[in-house]
Amino acid sequence: MVLYNFKSIQVVPGSRDFVDVVLSKTQRKTPTEVHKQYHISRIRSFYMRKVKFTQQSYHDKLSQIIQDFPLLDDIHPFYADLVNVLYDKDHYKLALGQLNTARNLIDNIAKDYLRLLKYGDSLYRCKQLKRAALGRMCTLMLKQNSSLAYLEQVRQHLARLPSIDPNTRTLLMCGYPNVGKSSFMNKMTRANVDVQPYAFTTKSLFVGHTDYKYNIWQVIDTPGILDHPLEERNTIEMQSITALAHLHAAVLFLIDISERCGYTIKQQVDLFFSIKALFLNKPLIVVINKIDVRRPEDVPADDWALIQSLTDPAKGGVGGTQILPMSTLTEEGVSKVKDVACTTLLADRIEKKMASSKISKDLHRLRTAQPKPRDEKVRSVFIPESVANARLADPDTLNKNKVTLTPGQMEVLQEEQDDLEYQKGIIPIFDINLWKRKYLLKDDSWKFDIIPEIMDGRNISDFIDPDILERLDELEREEEALIEELRANGGDASDESDLDDENQELLDEIHARKSEIKMDRLLGKTGRPKLTRQHKGLDKDHMERTLTRMGVEEEELGDIMDDVADKSRDRSKSRRPSERSLSRHGRKRDRSESRGVSVEGRGLSLNRSQSRGSSKTPAPVDGEGYRDLPQKEEAVMLGKEGMRKRNKLGYKGEGDHHIPNLMPKHLFAGKRGAGKTGRR
Amino acid sequence: MRLEKCYFCGGTVYPGHGIMFVRNDSKIFRFCRSKCHTHFKMKHNPRKTKWTKAFRKLAGKEMTVDKTFDFEKKRNRPVKYDRDLVSATIKVMKRLDVIRERRKRAFYKNRMQGVRAREKMMQLKEIDQHIDIIRAPSALLKMKAKILENKNKIQSMETELGPLNPKPIKKSKPTASE
Ligand SMILES: Nc1nc2c(ncn2[C@@H]2O[C@H](COP(=O)(O)OP(=O)(O)OP(=O)(O)O)[C@@H](O)[C@H]2O)c(=O)[nH]1
Ligand SMILES: [Mg+2]
Ligand SMILES: [Zn+2]
Repeated sequence: MVLYNFKSIQVVPGSRDFVDVVLSKTQRKTPTEVHKQYHISRIRSFYMRKVKFTQQSYHDKLSQIIQDFPLLDDIHPFYADLVNVLYDKDHYKLALGQLNTARNLIDNIAKDYLRLLKYGDSLYRCKQLKRAALGRMCTLMLKQNSSLAYLEQVRQHLARLPSIDPNTRTLLMCGYPNVGKSSFMNKMTRANVDVQPYAFTTKSLFVGHTDYKYNIWQVIDTPGILDHPLEERNTIEMQSITALAHLHAAVLFLIDISERCGYTIKQQVDLFFSIKALFLNKPLIVVINKIDVRRPEDVPADDWALIQSLTDPAKGGVGGTQILPMSTLTEEGVSKVKDVACTTLLADRIEKKMASSKISKDLHRLRTAQPKPRDEKVRSVFIPESVANARLADPDTLNKNKVTLTPGQMEVLQEEQDDLEYQKGIIPIFDINLWKRKYLLKDDSWKFDIIPEIMDGRNISDFIDPDILERLDELEREEEALIEELRANGGDASDESDLDDENQELLDEIHARKSEIKMDRLLGKTGRPKLTRQHKGLDKDHMERTLTRMGVEEEELGDIMDDVADKSRDRSKSRRPSERSLSRHGRKRDRSESRGVSVEGRGLSLNRSQSRGSSKTPAPVDGEGYRDLPQKEEAVMLGKEGMRKRNKLGYKGEGDHHIPNLMPKHLFAGKRGAGKTGRR
Repeated sequence: MRLEKCYFCGGTVYPGHGIMFVRNDSKIFRFCRSKCHTHFKMKHNPRKTKWTKAFRKLAGKEMTVDKTFDFEKKRNRPVKYDRDLVSATIKVMKRLDVIRERRKRAFYKNRMQGVRAREKMMQLKEIDQHIDIIRAPSALLKMKAKILENKNKIQSMETELGPLNPKPIKKSKPTASE
């Protein structure tokens, strides 16, 4: 279904705006920078792009306008006619046609100038060509001002047209002005059309919607029409005529019986006859309005005859028409009119539909099935014979099943009992034991047992199992077997005994010594002498103690001590002369000697530390690095000479002591702003 | 009323003790004390925390599979109260305790087998290797017999128990032989 909605047409700008929009768009969307030293092809393409872009945006915008406006040949004839009536078809077509030609002209201008631009030989020339192209396009557009303005007005009016669907169920009111069409419309729908006691209150078509039989019906209020030839009708009347002519609707022809509208019944009947042609093939109802003012009975006989003649084909009326009295003021007969109008229209539409060729397609899809009994046989519920017999034989089985209630059912019972007690005036108190009464156990005396839940840190409920005893038996058997097996293996208790006493003592001693060493290390006593032994001298007591502790026997101890004492005396003697070569020689001898004398096995630490103490670097000699001492002295003197001037002036030299300022005040004081902490 | 197991340590949570945490996927975590709860909140893994049941089971320090454990099971099918059954169950529970204890002891004993021997071997080795920090070489000569005895013992134990690898022992420099 086509929905006639002209609200989506885009705004048509005036020609000045149009030009502004397009030019600023070109400026925004194309590159803006070009220099004469660019390669000429680049300059050309720069300007060509501008021209092409402008043309394209003109083209697009114009096409948009042309497309948006409805083509009169494509839309429903009702709308086409309405547009004709309201805006003048020729004008409308002309405006759109002008825009179309403008579009083509602009395309052609662009094509021409692009061709010229191809041969532009400098930036200046290219620019002039571009200017000319855009200028021509814009003047052309400026000339379209009138049609653009016209189209904008049309657009605004079109957008406000009621969205009438020409194909749906429609009721249409027509009649002289002031007869009460709008009043009736307001009664039927919620359209809220203006109602005033003067003619031509309604100046255009109005649409409202009403419900009837679960369908939505479109109700159209039309401006009043006067009785004169078609050519003399004004735009307002022509709208009504258009609606009457093109919409397939139920037409309600309203007649003001009171003649308060200012037109006599005779005039109104004449109008009917003059527009009779428009009622052809449409359900028509003649409605006599304002019966509250003047009853139909009070109408003079000749007037009444005139009204009657509307339905009489013999007198030029339309056959099959009903005349219905109504008053929109008192609402008398309003619903009757609506009823009749809707039903007749519906009947008419169905008839038309049935007559159309498409209907057969739809009809064969419709079917209403109504089952009929195929014979007289009774088909009742099937109960197996065994079940039926069992029921007959033992009616108690059913009852028995009923007696064993579920706890939920029993709760209901309890509630009933409570209610009974309430009625007796006893307030029932919840008692868990009362509840326990209803337990269904094997033995009734168990009902009030206190059930243990926890034992020895375990949940009893986790162990409860109907065949727990069998399982225990099984376990016992397994356990017995295990114990038997163990016994057969003979206990296997041949665990190692502890260390013997001697070993234990040794181990303890080792551990004690180890921890001692550890403590020494912690205290910074590495065992390495700080002074060489020859300086420190021998601590004979300490040495003796250590050796005894280490298990050296009395006799041997004496030997060792003697030996050591000997050696130290020997060395101190040879050391006196303070002659390097001599001392070195002496030590050498000592070593070889000591090796011969010292105990076999691992050397005592004495030997080692001695050899380590000897490996000393020689002291620096004066004049080192120079040929001889005089040369060195000269060098030193020259160095001082060189420094003299600097020192006199107090320059800072690399040898000077320098205290760097690691946190300069100016970098670390004050508030911190943005940026890094190192910069302020 | 039920006794629950602590999610973290696996200990029993008595009614009215500990804390329960229900995660938004409706999994329930119970904790026996704030210690376990705190560990959980810090996302510690009970399997990697030495003092938990989970760790001990994983590390093979406790029995994990045993028939006595099969008796205790959370049953979702209710059994109607039966006085005889409950009293029988209580008796069985007592008996089960005894059996379980015995089996636990046997398990521990089995687990500890050979540990003492290994310890002794290590001690002997220590004596053998570090004797020189307490005895002078001359004294060592005199106790040669004992040292040899220890050495033999270590050798025999090593063949029996397999080489055990305690801390890698640094070889002492053969200074004396030079
Ligand atoms: N007493 C009486 N007055 C009515 C009745 N129906 C309408 N009127 C009056 O008639 C006058 C005109 O009514 P409208 O509904 O505006 O008439 P209209 O046909 O829409 O007139 P146009 O829109 O000008 O064609 C108003 O003052 C209404 O109050 C009626 O049933 N009884
Ligand atoms: Mg009106
Ligand atoms: Zn815990």
